[in-house]
Amino acid sequence: MKLGNSPRSVIPLFALICRLTLAIIFFYAGIEKIINPRNFTVAIYNYQLLPDCVINLLTIFLPWLEVIIAASLVSGINTRGASLLSAFIFLIFATALTINLVRGLDISCGCFGASSGNISWFYLVRDLSLFCMSFFVLIYDRGWRSFFS
Amino acid sequence: MTQNNIPLKLYSAFREGIIIIAVALFIAVVFNSLRSNGIPLFGFSSAALIKEQQAKIPEITLSEAYNLYRKNKVIFIDARDPLSYADGHITRAINIYPDEASLHVSGLKIKADQGFIFITYCDGPQCHLNKETAHALLLRGIPNVKILVNGWILWLKAGYPISKGKK
Repeated sequence: MKLGNSPRSVIPLFALICRLTLAIIFFYAGIEKIINPRNFTVAIYNYQLLPDCVINLLTIFLPWLEVIIAASLVSGINTRGASLLSAFIFLIFATALTINLVRGLDISCGCFGASSGNISWFYLVRDLSLFCMSFFVLIYDRGWRSFFS
Repeated sequence: MTQNNIPLKLYSAFREGIIIIAVALFIAVVFNSLRSNGIPLFGFSSAALIKEQQAKIPEITLSEAYNLYRKNKVIFIDARDPLSYADGHITRAINIYPDEASLHVSGLKIKADQGFIFITYCDGPQCHLNKETAHALLLRGIPNVKILVNGWILWLKAGYPISKGKK
């Protein structure tokens, strides 16, 4: 598959850069939330989108999902699954952000645990960019093999 | 690689995604059950959180605060923005804007274990930053947090020690 007039060799390299960038982002975000689950619980609650019964489960599960996705993206094992989940997660985040930006809520993003700022349209653009990167990896990434074979 | 591969890629992506979800769920549940500060899987209560957030934080008078300051038993927390802090703050105060509370938790917990009391202040009787920072610290498990209402003005007028400069 060709992407416009780009040289064929550039596409896998760009996919690799996207894959590793996503891995770093997921790893950092996941570890922050694992270290301080309390902040993340409050952040999820503040979004006012989920019932109480799933908030703790999500607090426990989502950070580890992010870390495992990061590990998959770096190692090249189950990369397609990781990039699909990555795209899905960023789409969910973007939807949640949009709903609360439209509502006018001034709440913490919760994206990177304690060091998150309050939600803004910038975060929405960032999430959508990361969604596009995930989708690009899903379609074009060929794993480490293409660089060593 | 042809476009015909895309449905196949999506199929394998779904399959791999389910494997990743299963692994993450397993590790998450095991890790949470093993860690000392694990949380119940389904025990979240928004009512308890709201009650906690609305808990009244005790206030302290200027003279009490100054006595503690002289005995070196207090850490003043300037809840104003960094520019105001740089213009002038209570000597030895640290600058913690409400959003930044989490970044200081580990350091403050060590101080709390050493018996220090924390007093948040900002500028003016209507200022809410001191309450917001105090709430943020209490929510993150920092004990002995008090509020000095209109703290900066009172401290300044009393002629007590102040410093200038960034944190």
